[in-house]
Amino acid sequence: MSDSRDDDPQDDEGDLTRKQRREQARTQRRELEQAEAASAVRRTRLTRLGIVVAVVVAAIVVILLATGGGSKKGIPKTAQAKTQAVSEVTSLVGGIPQNGKVLGNPKAPVTLQYFGDLECPICKEFTLGALPSILRQWVRSGKLKIEYRALETATREPEVFKTQQVAALAAGKQNKMWDFLELFYHEQGEEDSGYVTESYLQALARQVPGLNLPQWTSDRNDPALATEVTGDTEAANNAGFTGTPSFEIGKTGELHPFTPGTYTEPGPYNAQIEKLLKS
Amino acid sequence: MIVLTTIGLGVAAYLTYVHYSGATPVCSIKGNPCSQVQKSVYSTLVGVPVALIGLIGYILILGSLLAPEGERARFATTVLTVGGFGFSAYLTYRELFTLHKICEWCVSSAVIVTVLMLLSIWRFLRGDVPSPGGPSSPAPELEPEPTPPVGATHS
Repeated sequence: MSDSRDDDPQDDEGDLTRKQRREQARTQRRELEQAEAASAVRRTRLTRLGIVVAVVVAAIVVILLATGGGSKKGIPKTAQAKTQAVSEVTSLVGGIPQNGKVLGNPKAPVTLQYFGDLECPICKEFTLGALPSILRQWVRSGKLKIEYRALETATREPEVFKTQQVAALAAGKQNKMWDFLELFYHEQGEEDSGYVTESYLQALARQVPGLNLPQWTSDRNDPALATEVTGDTEAANNAGFTGTPSFEIGKTGELHPFTPGTYTEPGPYNAQIEKLLKS
Repeated sequence: MIVLTTIGLGVAAYLTYVHYSGATPVCSIKGNPCSQVQKSVYSTLVGVPVALIGLIGYILILGSLLAPEGERARFATTVLTVGGFGFSAYLTYRELFTLHKICEWCVSSAVIVTVLMLLSIWRFLRGDVPSPGGPSSPAPELEPEPTPPVGATHS
């Protein structure tokens, strides 16, 4: 005996419709699940991307802070620090005659030639170490004059070296080169950090008391100053100097290389000057 | 992306050579700011030349691009290029606001890594949804999965 449902065409139609409905529902459910899965994947990808971006940003901030942040390693940031540097420089060289790159009495019996590079940290060591005592004891009393000459060592780029040295010499045309030099060394930035820019030099010049800025700016274009820098380099080469600071000392007009052995203690300089004054 | 990465790799290799040989980089800008940038204190990071870091980065990016296509490889490329972009942004900041110099080699690398980052993010977000049957499969064949498969790539 056969099943009556199998013989009934209407039941067959009903079965087909139910099958189709089930299939349709299954398809819809599958599509929904697929869409949900795809959406979940997209959300996960976005989350992971967000995490990556956050980690990279954090790493860059750390690197930025570890390598000196956004600060410029040069001129003191605070007005107080600037005032203090200017005050120190004024107390060191104020009142001492200046003539171009020479500091001291033009008729001083002894001359010291100081070959330096404004970006050289050892020159800073000397300028802030042994030099102040020498200035107070010998230059201020008129027995010694010091001539600053340029020799490129620490400054990596010849163009930058020439520009900063010409800027100093331009201040020298107003007899304020030593104010400029001293300020440069007092506020010297980190070697090779590229802190010496046009704006840096202009800001430094603005700190030099009494410097006529338009005149200074104009004088920087004087080709004679660039020639003077070249002349200094030749003089250093002729003396066999390869590093800075290097010195020549002697009775005015009879200079000889001098190796003090220290840049922070004035003793050897004092001894040499005394010896020359007595001879 | 492979072509771009290869060009970037060439730039980084050249700058690494310049760093170690002490040679002056070829530069069309007056005053050779490239040389000033390459010799600056920011040309190294904890003693490692940034050019070498870039070279290693490009090699890794190339490796991720040549790896079998899949979620893991696309994510690796994205991580590397986003990292490269961040590092490049830091170096460009140093050039513009600390050194006040711009190096055309560095700029070209920055542009390359920026384009690579955008492409890799697009590729990562628009990539095929992976299925358990293989590294990737077309979206229409997607089967529901109990857990998001992308989590499996995390290491």
